Amino acid sequence: MELSVFRFARRTWASDELEHIAPLPLPKMATPAVVVSTLVVIALLLFVSVGPLLWRQDPSQQWLSQISAGPSAPHSVRLILNSGPWQPPAGEPPQTLMVHEANTEFVRLQWPKLDGVKRYRVYRASAHKAGLGLAIAETDKPYYQDQLQLSYQIYRYTIADADTGLLLLARDVRPDAAMSLFEAQLQGLVPVGKVNGRQQWLTLPGHPLGTDALGRDILARLMAGGRTSLFVGVVAPLLYITFGCIFGAIAGLAGGWVDQLAMRFVDFVVALPFLLFMILFRVAFGIGPGENGITPLIVAMLMLSWPGSARLIRGQVLALRSQPFVEAAKLAGVGTSRTILRHMLPNVLPMILVAFSFAIPQAIFTEAFLSFIGMGVSPPTTSWGALCNDGIKTLLSHPRQLLLPALFISVSVLAFNLLGDALRDATDRRAGVAKA
Amino acid sequence: MNLLELERLQVSIGPVQAVRDVSLSLAPGECRALVGESGCGKSVTAMSLLNLMPAAAKTNALRWDFAGRDMRQLSERDWRQLRGNEIAMIFQNPMTALDPTQTIGSQIAEPLRIHKGLSKREALNKAIALLERLAIANPAQRAGQYPFEFSGGMLQRAMIAMAVVCEPQLLIADEPTTALDVTVQAEVLSILRELRESSGTAMLFITHDLGVVAEIADSVSVMYAGQTVETGSLIDVFSHEAHPYTQALKRAVPDMANPQPLQAIGGTPPDLRHPPTGCGFAARCAERMAICDQLPPNFACKSRAEHYSRCWLWHPEHPARWREAEQ
Amino acid sequence: MLKFIAKRLLSGAITIWFIATATFFAMHAVPGDPLTQEKAMSPAVRSQLEARYGLDKPLIEQYQLFLNNMLHGDFGISFTQENRKVNDIIREHFPISAILGITAVLIALVGGVSAGTVAAYYRNRWPDRMVMVAVIAAISVPGFVIAGLAQLTIVAMNNAAGKTLLPVAGWGGVNHIWVPALVLGLGTMAYLSRIMRASMLEVLSADFNMAAKAKGVHGWRLFWHHQLRNAVLPVVTELGPTIAGVTTGGFVVELIFAIPGLGRYFVQAVQQLDYTVIMGTTVFYGAFLVLVVVVVDISYGLIDPRIRLHSGGGGR
Repeated sequence: MELSVFRFARRTWASDELEHIAPLPLPKMATPAVVVSTLVVIALLLFVSVGPLLWRQDPSQQWLSQISAGPSAPHSVRLILNSGPWQPPAGEPPQTLMVHEANTEFVRLQWPKLDGVKRYRVYRASAHKAGLGLAIAETDKPYYQDQLQLSYQIYRYTIADADTGLLLLARDVRPDAAMSLFEAQLQGLVPVGKVNGRQQWLTLPGHPLGTDALGRDILARLMAGGRTSLFVGVVAPLLYITFGCIFGAIAGLAGGWVDQLAMRFVDFVVALPFLLFMILFRVAFGIGPGENGITPLIVAMLMLSWPGSARLIRGQVLALRSQPFVEAAKLAGVGTSRTILRHMLPNVLPMILVAFSFAIPQAIFTEAFLSFIGMGVSPPTTSWGALCNDGIKTLLSHPRQLLLPALFISVSVLAFNLLGDALRDATDRRAGVAKA
Repeated sequence: MNLLELERLQVSIGPVQAVRDVSLSLAPGECRALVGESGCGKSVTAMSLLNLMPAAAKTNALRWDFAGRDMRQLSERDWRQLRGNEIAMIFQNPMTALDPTQTIGSQIAEPLRIHKGLSKREALNKAIALLERLAIANPAQRAGQYPFEFSGGMLQRAMIAMAVVCEPQLLIADEPTTALDVTVQAEVLSILRELRESSGTAMLFITHDLGVVAEIADSVSVMYAGQTVETGSLIDVFSHEAHPYTQALKRAVPDMANPQPLQAIGGTPPDLRHPPTGCGFAARCAERMAICDQLPPNFACKSRAEHYSRCWLWHPEHPARWREAEQ
Repeated sequence: MLKFIAKRLLSGAITIWFIATATFFAMHAVPGDPLTQEKAMSPAVRSQLEARYGLDKPLIEQYQLFLNNMLHGDFGISFTQENRKVNDIIREHFPISAILGITAVLIALVGGVSAGTVAAYYRNRWPDRMVMVAVIAAISVPGFVIAGLAQLTIVAMNNAAGKTLLPVAGWGGVNHIWVPALVLGLGTMAYLSRIMRASMLEVLSADFNMAAKAKGVHGWRLFWHHQLRNAVLPVVTELGPTIAGVTTGGFVVELIFAIPGLGRYFVQAVQQLDYTVIMGTTVFYGAFLVLVVVVVDISYGLIDPRIRLHSGGGGR
């Protein structure tokens, strides 16, 4: 018996608001945040590994002529051979304040002898600032050679009567970029003993990110510092998590009083204030001459950071030991080591991985903190934290020197944190599926 | 006049049409059981009756009257005065439904403080008296204790006390016995029965346990896939079950007088993100017809007086009805 | 409750002993001895100094002496600052660190709890997103960078205003506290708001929250009595480790903002290898932190009746 359509059966809903929406997609691992942070991590690793091969500046080379300079392209400088005492050429004195030569090694000024003035005082100021600036010299001769920490900017020189304070002459001067022979030889730009008498032009390498307070190339230092930071950030967690896992696994598998004793010890180590003891251990290990200080840092971290993963693994091992599949394996005559390898390890591995990915940013932070207070790596080895330590000193005048390494720390910590979050979500989901 | 008249309630939460068409009516003092398997929309119905659905949920009804008021017009302010005062609710799991950081006494007294404006002392005394009525030994001391110090059965009694302390006109009990041991279940049921007799509170008793229904309810509504599929008195629904789903449900319950092998209902309920165009139960129905897949039986077919079944079998033009009419 | 407190105090005392012992042996593992750092000195002066610092005695005796002194609260005399007692240094500079730290913790607590609550209430809407982005930023940027940025901002602000709105560094008035305390508390605040958001979300979807609403509880009463009280519990448990973080974070902030707190002294002592000051401050800080954790544990018991009443068995 089959009934066909009824003529009066109509839809009589109160409203048709309930719209049709596609089923929710399952959460995926490859969220935009994960993709971006993976790319960032890869980029950072390339930056510190391939970077120094492409950017071949020595991170500890000091360019005395370019201290705290901003980003610059490669440029030429005049090579100054002789910057000894100077006298103006004999002849007619100038009518006004005259510049014989101006470069960043020296500025040579001459002015007319003025009646009634016995001593002249020379003031120098940055041209864009108001006022006379620094009184750099007093002289009774109508000429002066300024060699006082000149940099590549416009200066205003003012000549005054030293006795009365009356201002006499003023002029803006733009020194050329120059470098003394000594410094050129120091930097290896000019071979020693092969100087021809003429003035030369030298080409200096550019600094895409500028130089620091000691005239070192920031880009090269970021690459070198990143090596240390990432090395410590990866190796220290690798070591202490491995140690913690072994410790926790032994405690969990042994059980009984061994477990009790081991866990009491863990409790005490956890109670130690972390950064205080990091510093203390760093001091205790000391750094001998010529050492870079990375090993003591890692050992100190190893000594203090392992309990977390030990607790984690012990708990897991205890929980797994009573799981039916492990007991079944035991009953089936599977040996202990095989049980551990085949049945327990695959179950704890995801957790270890998550712990590891969260430990990396933690370790990067710790290293940065210690280097920042000068308890991390020792020069000439550098790290992002040590760069920040250098940078904070010139914070108010050149913020770039702090912000650049800080940016690298923040970006890498952020990337690793996001990766850890994604990894944890993925393993949580797996655990959830397994439970359901 | 009925205390509650609810017609064609619809609730959608995001893409899920959790409640598609629920109609309920309750006379004062009546106890109606709302029966259905988990996920059919029972609890959503209960929460909607208190307007406690999350903001993302959309609620709609053709008619929704309570004690002569059109509930669709109430403001949130009116609702607040109503909740716990005129309509109260007993939750499924007393272990989680009581605030772990507040004493039992203060939690029971809270509705009195809010709705009746009693002082702390007065409210607490009333709460203690109520606990005593619910057969909790040492009520004054117990009132000062915290939920974790109570056993499951005592917690549910406290939960009931919390719900009835303001003497509401309607009590919604959302599976009040499901989380409890069998012995405690009987205890809680007898307390609820007693309360109903003494106070005349109407009750909407939500459960999936047909045995409990037989013990407490006057009338029954059966829910499936967000719809009430059968409504009638206890006798109607239990002895003259009309909807194939109710019939299947009964076959899945052991019958001591007439032992037969239990029959599980084959298949699974429909996905309420994409409810079927036809009858929601069609896919699992043994008596399915071509029409069942095409059009929903969205009219109430009268089978007996005050007994409704949402099924094409009960349409007046179905051959079986012709025969009935001829007899 | 008393038993609970006694138990916590006892475990705290054992922990402090462990910290003191670890400190002592760590410092004595330093290659060479403390006096080799000083300039060349005659044997007579040297032995006199050794006697003064007790370095001529065998290690075990030194250890006993050290523990005994610690018990009496005597941390010895500074190596680099002649005749200055470590006790005096602590007494003089710790209050400054404490004021800074307490302000920071309060800022972090209030800010974190409110931000987390707002985020949970507006889950997946723009206030939540904003809070979460701020949290991620604050967690990813090292404290010393935030301190530097704060100083730059103050300088820029002062320059723009043409007068000193806020001091860039130093210590003295009330105005010297806010910025360093905020910087110090920022990371903690971010961490706490993350915890608060998660626990508030849990509370908002909890049965008892629904049950309270079903009773007609609403508004401030619902928030204060039922939601906040339950949601804040995980935050309180995190407070102990948090205070430890604020204390050590204080080193850097004190250094950068030139605040004469104990943290700055500690860092200086470390840089100058002033052994008694290092040992004294480490033990002092360690004991202080252990005490804080104990206090937090006890106060957690006050909020959560489950712990308060299960004095013996429950706990962590």
